[in-house]
Amino acid sequence: MLALLVILPLIAFIAILAGAPARKSAVAAGLANLALGLWAAATWENSDHWSISLPVLEKPALHLAFAFTDGMSVIMVLLSVLVTLAALLSGKAPEGRETLYYGSSLLISAGAIGAFAATDLFFFYAFHELALIPTFVMIGLLGRGDRRDAAWKITLYLGFGSIILLAGLVWLANLAGTFDIPTMVRAAQEGSLSIDPATQKSIAALLIVGFGVLVSLFPFHSWAAPAYASAPAPTAMLHAGVLKKFGLYGLLRVALPILPDGMNAWLIPLLVLLVGNILWVGLVTISQKRLDLMLGNSSVMHMGYIFLAIAALASATATGQSNPLAQPAAVLLMFAHGISIAMLFGLADRIERNTGTLELSDLGGLAKSAPGLAFLFGMVAMASIGLPGLANFAGEVLVFLSAFKNYDPAAGLAPVQVAGILAIWGVVISAVYMLRAYRRVFHGPSVPSTENASDLSFADRLPVLLLAVPLLVVGIYPNLLLSLLK
Amino acid sequence: MPWLLLLLPLIAAAANQLYLKRNAFIASMLSVASVAATFAISLMLLGKENAVAPLNWIAIGGFEIEIGLKLDQLATGMMVVVTGVGLLVHVFSLAYMADDSAKARFFTCLSLFMFSMTGIVLASNFIMTFMFWELVGLSSYLLIGHWYQRESAADAAKKAFITNRVGDFGFMIGILMLWGITGTLNFDDMKVPAGISTGVLGAALLCVFCGAVGKSAQMPLHVWLPDAMEGPTPVSALIHAATMVAAGVYMLFRLQLSIGSDAFDNFAGDTIAIVGGITALCAALMATQQNDIKRILAYSTLSQLGYMIMAVGLLAGEAGMFHLFTHAWFKALLFLGSGAVIHACHHQQDIWQMGGLLKKMPITGFTFLIGFLALIAVPGTAGFFSKEQILEAAHHHDRLSWLFWVAATVALLTPFYMTRLFAVAFLGKQRSKDADHAHEVGPLMFLPLLILAVLGLIAGYPFIAEKLAPAYEKPAHLFHFSGLVPITSVVAVLVGLVAGLVVYLGKERDPISVPLFRDRFRIDAFYDGVLVRYLQDAFAAIVHFFDEFLISGLIVGGSARIAEGFGGLFRRVQGGNLQGYAFAFGIGVILVIYFTAF
Amino acid sequence: MASLHDYLLVSGLLFAIGLAGVVLRRNIIVMFMCLELMLSAANLTLVAFSRFNGMNGLPDYNGQMLVFFVITVAAAEVSVGLAIIVALYRARQTIHTDDLNSLKG
Repeated sequence: MLALLVILPLIAFIAILAGAPARKSAVAAGLANLALGLWAAATWENSDHWSISLPVLEKPALHLAFAFTDGMSVIMVLLSVLVTLAALLSGKAPEGRETLYYGSSLLISAGAIGAFAATDLFFFYAFHELALIPTFVMIGLLGRGDRRDAAWKITLYLGFGSIILLAGLVWLANLAGTFDIPTMVRAAQEGSLSIDPATQKSIAALLIVGFGVLVSLFPFHSWAAPAYASAPAPTAMLHAGVLKKFGLYGLLRVALPILPDGMNAWLIPLLVLLVGNILWVGLVTISQKRLDLMLGNSSVMHMGYIFLAIAALASATATGQSNPLAQPAAVLLMFAHGISIAMLFGLADRIERNTGTLELSDLGGLAKSAPGLAFLFGMVAMASIGLPGLANFAGEVLVFLSAFKNYDPAAGLAPVQVAGILAIWGVVISAVYMLRAYRRVFHGPSVPSTENASDLSFADRLPVLLLAVPLLVVGIYPNLLLSLLK
Repeated sequence: MPWLLLLLPLIAAAANQLYLKRNAFIASMLSVASVAATFAISLMLLGKENAVAPLNWIAIGGFEIEIGLKLDQLATGMMVVVTGVGLLVHVFSLAYMADDSAKARFFTCLSLFMFSMTGIVLASNFIMTFMFWELVGLSSYLLIGHWYQRESAADAAKKAFITNRVGDFGFMIGILMLWGITGTLNFDDMKVPAGISTGVLGAALLCVFCGAVGKSAQMPLHVWLPDAMEGPTPVSALIHAATMVAAGVYMLFRLQLSIGSDAFDNFAGDTIAIVGGITALCAALMATQQNDIKRILAYSTLSQLGYMIMAVGLLAGEAGMFHLFTHAWFKALLFLGSGAVIHACHHQQDIWQMGGLLKKMPITGFTFLIGFLALIAVPGTAGFFSKEQILEAAHHHDRLSWLFWVAATVALLTPFYMTRLFAVAFLGKQRSKDADHAHEVGPLMFLPLLILAVLGLIAGYPFIAEKLAPAYEKPAHLFHFSGLVPITSVVAVLVGLVAGLVVYLGKERDPISVPLFRDRFRIDAFYDGVLVRYLQDAFAAIVHFFDEFLISGLIVGGSARIAEGFGGLFRRVQGGNLQGYAFAFGIGVILVIYFTAF
Repeated sequence: MASLHDYLLVSGLLFAIGLAGVVLRRNIIVMFMCLELMLSAANLTLVAFSRFNGMNGLPDYNGQMLVFFVITVAAAEVSVGLAIIVALYRARQTIHTDDLNSLKG
């Protein structure tokens, strides 16, 4: 059944290539996948439908293996299917390019789901690469504005990151003697796979930089905003919402359990970089003049919080303390951020289609002509600045709690807590840029571009609600999602 | 049953937003019904200490965050204030907002506010307080920005939210530190373990206090509250005078109750008291030179909030809560009265354009007079009792008895600026057409005024306060006019009142001009001009430049250019000449053979 | 009787002629024929070794097997190659390699 989640989009992709109606087939595959994903979330624990393993090579043993190792994979797959369907529904293909448009989106989705569900290190990496290529193609061929430049930038950056990551993963697999991630983790925890600290440190460096580039860790972040600003809406939604989380997922799935000491050795640099993500990129976000660039930068900034949870976990496991909050915090925030940023990009696309511009100085008073759009955008803007009742808040507050989990008042503030305090300032920064943008776009008197702008139709609302409802439900009752992690 | 307190307003808000956007009448009725029901429930629960089973909001391993209700005398008393003022303001709004095109949205937001405020009052742990703390911030943002097409309203809403966020920055750190110190987030179990240094504990408490500084608009984060007057006047009465801005005081006192007031008996408590005192004084000075009726009241609110915060810092939280209780009634009265005036004067807010309104609008005028007397603490009114306790506490404090003189100065300034307001707006003759055309408002508006006026008179007497006021402590003796404190305060009131009448009665324009006070000590200008423009925006622009130039341009662009250079070199090799390729290929093969064979 | 040496000499000559043709001629058909010549040279070498490295009076059949493979592949190659050349001619009206340089970087 699990393989079906990956295969369905691929089948739809082939069908589209063969001439099936593009939008219909894509949406059908998305719907089926959403149903499968929900079913998976409900039944994965007590059912053996959800794992499959096909031998590909005998020596070295390589299996095309998918399984839900734990709740983290389930949540990430759930995120993928939700965002996929929303992206497919909300996008509007340029005349005559439907095949490319929907086909690429399906490939990205298949790659992301494959990467999150794969238990084999090789396919874990390969599926992500599979998803990257259509991302580049979409930005380069169907993007807006400075698309060639943006496409080059993202291709070079992510190519660079992937190669470094590949080096690290190959090194790791070589030492472990297997490609199977759960086996590796078990071996590392039982002690049968002991990697000496110096090697751990080197591999961890490769993984942090490799995964870090993919997640736009400061200072490897400057690809993200232009790429998202140029990308067609579904690509921006899928990449920022889902595919980017691959790097964080990889750190949580591979780097932290197998290389605890290596990760801890880089704790201070990691903390500095994540604070750079939050404060530096936060300030960059404040000075943006266009909505799409601002959203792109904000998504870079929010990665800092998830890195904070990862750093908290790294510092705790290496020193023998426990930090049960950090991993759920990271997963919850990944889910929440994925949903909210996808929704933001989807709605920004709507604003551009309805008003013809995303320049903040050319917009104003849109709430008057498009109250539905204003309400939904306001809701998700509030979500992204961490308003309680929406999922991001639960994630952020857990991240902060996890940073302070091992706070010892007698010993003073540890580096993680100092980074945590600096990160909390990001809450102010994000309020500044989000509310400024909201005020510029929706408040104030109407301007020519917004006077006759149309509101969202029912069909337009559907994909947005698909994202808004989980955001609200998880925000009000986070246990719903967290119970999957037990 | 206690859960209904939270659920009813939430249901009203959700139903209004989802289904009743088009039907403003039903929407407003639903909101009023929900607040009336919660008021009834609050009265029933008054003084009871119920244990309510909490819900698990987050549970990971052994760690839990609960949504629980803490019902004790403090919470139930506060609920009566919140729902009581809320009910009257809802009723008042029915008339005040009758012609507004977005009436349904207004009532949706009011219900959302009632929900959030109830959450703060009943919260059983700090995370829950923080959640609803943010939600009242949201409802305040929405209501200040109700007329979002006005640039000033949209800016004010944004400013309120962001300023509050600055306070919440400290609040969150404080919560986390206290969590580390006490090991719990629940108010019930909070204890300071032995061996915690005063420095760490005090720092944590001051961080928590930052939250109160933001929400209760203390210096230096007070700037948002006067601007928040851009919202509809009933909102100013409910949120920005009676309830939400008092949440900071409530939260601090709740913390003081659960962690023990000894924890505050150090530099933390002193700092809190001093900040409160300074705010009270500065806000009173600013109020003396404002011309907008709502802004004068806003600065007066700031000043009174300063009193309450000061009381909490002086470890006399009961006195602060008592003042919160009485202040809620008479300040809501004053704001609703000003709302009635503004309504009658065609949205004219400048007091120098009013005048003689007492004759035109007798009910409004006399109830406003009662609120005015209560605010300046004339003996016998509600304000007198509570202010007396605060002055008493300041006088008896070991280290900070000088704050008593600060408080006394404020007690003198308050009657001065309020007399100015009353004399200019209600006495004398009408100065503009707007004031000429003013007429008494309808019963939906003056009934709440009458009720509030009664409460503004009697709420301070022990027989009422004992029942209703949160955390009330009966004073040892009532009306004893001997001793420094009562004499000082009565003298201060008299001097201020007389000075105000002498200076302002019958004047056409302001005889005094103190630009420093009028410009609010230039703090707003400093924030906008220096902090926001230079420290934030210019700094952000510089960072942005470096981001583009250094990271994007030099490092990334540089490596891209190097790669491009190599590419250019190798490009020449690919000449497109088939024979050339074949020749190179042949040479290559020969070389390979040569190296492998020999 | 010709020795192994003679066979190898002839084969080397054939290969050199073929290589020279591929490198020097500009007509693709001729280049193609020269390629075939080089294959034949290789075949000749294989058969010669097969004949002279045999044991017990029997030739080494591995070499001859390989020759058949080469011939088969060469036949396939010729058919595909000629088809490409025809298509190329149709598209460009030329089979002169100097005119076919659009892959130039």
